[in-house]
Amino acid sequence: MITDLLEASPYSVASADKKRLLLRGLQELTVYHQQNCLAYHQLFNEPVEPFTDISAVPFLTVPLFKQRPLKSIPVEQVFKVLTSSGTTGTVPSRIYLDADTAKLQSRVLVKIMQEWLGKQRLPMLIWDSPSVIKSRDSFTARGAGIQGLSFLGRHHTYALNDDMSLNIEAINTFFERFGSGPVFMFGFTFMVWKFGVQALKEQGLKFDFQNAVLIHSGGWKKLEDEAVTAETFNSKTEDQLGHVRVHNFYGMVEQVGSIFVACEEGHLHCPSYADVLVREPGNWQVVPEGNVGVLQVLSLLPKSYPGHSLLTEDRGRILGEDNCNCGRKGKYFEVLGRMEKVEARGCSDTFERTGAGQ
Amino acid sequence: MTVQVINPVTTKGQLAPFADSKALAYCKALSQALLTEPPAREHSDLMALGFWLRPANIERMLTPYKELKLRPLGHVFHAAPGNVDSLFVYSGILSVLCGNLNTIRLSDRAGGSAQVLCEVVQGLTAEHPEVSARFQIIRSPRDACELIQLQQQVDGRVLWGSDEGIQALRQRTIPAHARELTFANKLSFAVIDIDAVLQATPKELEQLASKFARDNLTFAQQACSSAKVVIWHGNLFNKEKAQDVFWLALSAFLTSEQGQGKYPLTESEHYRALNNAQDMVMSGLASQVKTCGGYIRMAVDSLHHALLGEHQGCGLFAELHTDKLNDLHSQLTPQHQTMSYWGLIENDVMDWLATCLVGVDRAVPIGNALDFNEVWDGVDLIRAFSRVVV
Repeated sequence: MITDLLEASPYSVASADKKRLLLRGLQELTVYHQQNCLAYHQLFNEPVEPFTDISAVPFLTVPLFKQRPLKSIPVEQVFKVLTSSGTTGTVPSRIYLDADTAKLQSRVLVKIMQEWLGKQRLPMLIWDSPSVIKSRDSFTARGAGIQGLSFLGRHHTYALNDDMSLNIEAINTFFERFGSGPVFMFGFTFMVWKFGVQALKEQGLKFDFQNAVLIHSGGWKKLEDEAVTAETFNSKTEDQLGHVRVHNFYGMVEQVGSIFVACEEGHLHCPSYADVLVREPGNWQVVPEGNVGVLQVLSLLPKSYPGHSLLTEDRGRILGEDNCNCGRKGKYFEVLGRMEKVEARGCSDTFERTGAGQ
Repeated sequence: MTVQVINPVTTKGQLAPFADSKALAYCKALSQALLTEPPAREHSDLMALGFWLRPANIERMLTPYKELKLRPLGHVFHAAPGNVDSLFVYSGILSVLCGNLNTIRLSDRAGGSAQVLCEVVQGLTAEHPEVSARFQIIRSPRDACELIQLQQQVDGRVLWGSDEGIQALRQRTIPAHARELTFANKLSFAVIDIDAVLQATPKELEQLASKFARDNLTFAQQACSSAKVVIWHGNLFNKEKAQDVFWLALSAFLTSEQGQGKYPLTESEHYRALNNAQDMVMSGLASQVKTCGGYIRMAVDSLHHALLGEHQGCGLFAELHTDKLNDLHSQLTPQHQTMSYWGLIENDVMDWLATCLVGVDRAVPIGNALDFNEVWDGVDLIRAFSRVVV
């Protein structure tokens, strides 16, 4: 049934149909992971009653992927391991993909991105340094993101040097060659802002791209600290780079297939194979549309590891379903940043971990 | 690296006799300040400290020791814990009452109530210079040269903290004669009698819930004496019924006018508890996670030693059953600190405790788990901070 959904546009399935397909898919995945992942079965060992609502799908907290290897495939079927350190510590999440899941992930990524980029593979300007993808064995989130999106573009050009300074020559060459036509730019939000837009401004450099799409992701935390809103980000980007349609997206390495792209209205949209719920911290019940809580993300893709239903550490709220002004179907929502971290208190008190090993 | 003294005085600290009148006056003044000054009144742990410092309580506590010939140890260095902001005052003040000079290093993590406490202590320096000079509170990097030098000259050292933290702090040498007390991470548990819960009146249940919440949800369940495990005692047949009744009463209390907002956990603390529970189930340590609003329940089959390191508090209760207290013997380790109990007869508990050769440092009724005793983790602090002259 995921294949049914893959045929259609990711934003064309209205809620009644989507619900039916999602419920069936998530049901199958839940049973599958119960049968194929021991740790998952240990946590959710009750036989699954047919789900009547998405909220009934059991969910894992995201840090579990840092705490233990979770996979539903034998080790010899592991095709690729995605890792991410996130911001919580130095231990990375490890996400195990088999060939099928990896293939599906790529397909879905293309499907979603084509909605925003068109079907043509466009010249691609990457707001990062080429070194970020060099170590191929261990994909970092940044490297994997760039790698994943690279095959949507051609003439890949890295806008930054290894020391994160602007590679003016490369940008110039790219602009001279492609600046008057449609181009695709990609980067991590903070990198684009700090080492791209701001660096250009500091050096008094402007480019007048005629028809660019900038896709960026990676969280607003650092920008919020500098009081940079999405509006500021978008308008300053246009100041330095010309006609750029800017689309933020939300996603996490722990859940393949969940790529939520912000539309022209600035709303993050669920594609047909993924969904979002908002839960209240503490009782963890689903809250009514519009209320702020912690985001749960669901996706039909994670089959090689039990990541189809995850409780994130991010706060957010649902803004609506099937009725966004942009015309796309599906739920749309906004992310309101991470939950406030408190100091780990515990008895780990007089000792500060940074001073370890002395 | 700098050492910042919170309550500096120009007077040089001098050793004093046991239960010196100036030290008693200091306790009284600190008690009054904590019980009357508005910022302190907002913190329940500071109120409890204020009560503990009342002259009558200090007198009651010191009286049994007056027949001993106690002399001060000398200069004592204390490394305060970060989980319970006000804990350092209890051991610090006992050492002051024993006549010692004290330097207390606050944890870098010392938060809300520690800040208020420091301000109160600052306010006492003008009127109590001699005692303030013996009760010097500092903030400093852990490895400040001054701190290392100071430890080379002390007569006693008190380390509160995690096991690894204590081991790290222990790397700093102290003189050969110096005494060292360590208070490492410990696990506490509550024992509730099944039939007693089923026979309790609604009023009694409400009181139980209120006391249980105070013991175990203050400081986000981070205090070592807060129970992380609930042991259901007695009739297995009625266990589930008693559990339902009890947890329902706790939920009702936490949403009642009296209990609402009293023990707030942050969003990320709630999240941490859920993740912690899921992680422990995946590792095979626990099962059956139930989220119940402000707290989470899960089942365990013993007081497994791994709980000490794994269980992170934040409103997470591991539950197990025992037919009788004697069945717990084989599960106890030196890391088991406070047993708080309800519905059991005090004499029975004390008789059982007499047979525990390993584990359990104190047994108190539910509601008193956070009370500070002068005997802590099996150490008589007053004797430990003194030389007993014969």
